[in-house]
Amino acid sequence: MSSTSRYAPSQVDRRGLRVAAAITSIVLALVLVLPSPAREILLAVQVGVFAIAAFAGLKRSPYSIFFAKVIRPRIGAPAELEDARPPRFAQLVGLVFTAVALIAFLAGATTVGFVATAFALVAALLNASIGLCLGCELYLVLRRLTPASA
Amino acid sequence: MTGLLILLVAVAVAAIAAWGVSKKNGRFATVAGPERLGVREIGVALGERATLVQFSSAFCAPCRATRVLLTDIAEKVDGVVTVDIDAEEHLELVRRLNILRTPTVLVLDADGAVVTRASGLPRREQVLAALGSAVADR
Repeated sequence: MSSTSRYAPSQVDRRGLRVAAAITSIVLALVLVLPSPAREILLAVQVGVFAIAAFAGLKRSPYSIFFAKVIRPRIGAPAELEDARPPRFAQLVGLVFTAVALIAFLAGATTVGFVATAFALVAALLNASIGLCLGCELYLVLRRLTPASA
Repeated sequence: MTGLLILLVAVAVAAIAAWGVSKKNGRFATVAGPERLGVREIGVALGERATLVQFSSAFCAPCRATRVLLTDIAEKVDGVVTVDIDAEEHLELVRRLNILRTPTVLVLDADGAVVTRASGLPRREQVLAALGSAVADR
């Protein structure tokens, strides 16, 4: 369950984020080893997932929906919830890297495509394995540099 | 195949980074230097035997878990108090103590001297061992 109101930021179940990161890791690993055009198609799917999560909200991401419908009923409610803003920003960062990779592959710059995909994969692996969210850390750094109204 | 090679490199990099971060979390290191904190800096009276000072920030999930752990230890161990400090509201203290990350836990001895410190969520036995070193120095 999550709470949303005009005054309180949206909250998410951390375990859903870890599951989404695990699925992302598998998808990006496949992108690295599959031949064209399977690789571009799969990468485009991942770009789509990142875009949905970043712009429509984490709960609308297909990976989160999978977690909510298939996994969470089996493991019960979360002990606590987490602010959604840093992980949502992290999805945006993932979107940028994978979009760059997709464009690079389509334009024939496969090295750029591999490297950008690899960066996104490392971030997803770190998140899935130890819960370290690099995009979230970036969000905090940026937030500290622009002290607008809280 | 290039893609497979890059995949293996990426997995190796992630594995090394994950191992490094996990080892660092909760690892208490002795502090050299004359840093001493008192009620003026931390807002509460020092514990009779030791004080656990935690620096937290917003959006920090491990900070909550650390606070729960330290509070539980302070309740169970005599003469130990704990305090949670919001890093963003104590920036001068953060700079003075070179706090780079949250959560950071400082262990103070009975006189308020910083004896040992760690960043990241610690395990219970790590905190208890750190407390032991702060108390044994007397």
